[in-house]
Amino acid sequence: MSKMVRKASVAEILNHWVLAISCILLSISGFGFLFKIEFIGSLFGGFNLMKTIHNWVGVVFSVSLFFSMFNWLKDSLAFDSDDIGWIKVAGGYLSHKVKVPPMGKLNTGQKFYYVALLFFGMAISISGYIIWLLPGSRNWVLISHLLHNISFDILMIAIPVHMYLASIANPGTFRIMISGTVPLEWAKKKHPKWIEEAKLD
Amino acid sequence: MARYGLLISPELCIGCRACQVACKSWNQLPADKTKNLGGYENPSDLTPHLYNKIHYVEVPSDKSPMRWLFVSQRCMHCDDAGCMKICPSPGALFKTKEGAVAYNKDKCIGCKLCVAGCPFNVPRFDEKDKVTKCNLCSDRISNNLPPACAKTCPTGAIKYGERESLISSAQKVGYEKLYGKADLGGLGALYAFKDAPKLYDMVENPAIPETVIFWHNVLKPLAYVGLGGVVAASLLHYFVIGPHKDEKEVGKHE
Repeated sequence: MSKMVRKASVAEILNHWVLAISCILLSISGFGFLFKIEFIGSLFGGFNLMKTIHNWVGVVFSVSLFFSMFNWLKDSLAFDSDDIGWIKVAGGYLSHKVKVPPMGKLNTGQKFYYVALLFFGMAISISGYIIWLLPGSRNWVLISHLLHNISFDILMIAIPVHMYLASIANPGTFRIMISGTVPLEWAKKKHPKWIEEAKLD
Repeated sequence: MARYGLLISPELCIGCRACQVACKSWNQLPADKTKNLGGYENPSDLTPHLYNKIHYVEVPSDKSPMRWLFVSQRCMHCDDAGCMKICPSPGALFKTKEGAVAYNKDKCIGCKLCVAGCPFNVPRFDEKDKVTKCNLCSDRISNNLPPACAKTCPTGAIKYGERESLISSAQKVGYEKLYGKADLGGLGALYAFKDAPKLYDMVENPAIPETVIFWHNVLKPLAYVGLGGVVAASLLHYFVIGPHKDEKEVGKHE
């Protein structure tokens, strides 16, 4: 049994799953509305109920997105020269032969992903509230409807990539969102600067 | 089946508003409390209980200081309807076989997006947040009866019939350019205007909002193309390049 280190706190794990589950519910119902899919409507008990669920799960999503800033924003905005190196080798995802620069607690891709999620998550939340609560203001609704759907498209591209990279593409990563702990040896390989700075060794 | 519609001729309208009353009577709509705004127009705008209204326009003319124009305002029953395009609930807004844009309140989810999608600012919402508007008396026309407004109009200012024959009958009496003949795929409500539509307070060159068209033509397909694309790319990556394998030594300890 190797020594384990904690990478995600209980608060982070909870925050992540509330975001993930609300996001999946919103995406499925969103697809239902976008293409008027009767089958998805029936999964949610009809389109009337699906609208109510979509709105209130949207509240859960936006509130948990707000709290996520306390968990991940600081680390996500800490860019340095190693991040440029990471971009140059595309994180080592296109070839296993390249040398990936040492990473901190989050790697460059994870930082970009969080910043994008926060930005477009806020855009989709705010525009959603406007469509819901200000239906009388035609121009606001039209702009929000556009923004809601642009954000949706971007999230529908970004989120599956995140799900893939955090699971089967990087064996050993997924447990961070279950137990929150990873083997020290694994962490040293993937996030050496974090282990060094936090003196977990 | 041929497309049906209305031909509205302001020159024939005497502003009696019998059409407003007949519409309320047939559709069982209660009266709205109104206030005197100093004109004959009443109420001043379409309401959840008013599907059809005569708009009174006062403009100066050569002969007298005031010329009165009467225009029936209502749902235009567009062929390419913005309300239907933006509506997220299947069957809430639909086309009847005659070409009317009708609605099913049970399927309306009260999101009010149709208000934003309509080029003419027509849809309204009732107390339960459900869409209401002129539906061309779809219950009447499906039984070969004219809509209540057209039935009651004493001067023929509102005529109901096959859209093509309405167009040719208007052309016979000299209305070459009908408002709504080609807009939005052709409107179900055609207007025989003597002057520029603007004088009658009508939208010039009505169109579905550009954001809605962009959303429909680009963003909607991109949603599934994008999602499908990244899922396919991930699978391809997994099998061609493969996952990170630097687990070996770590994995054995576990």
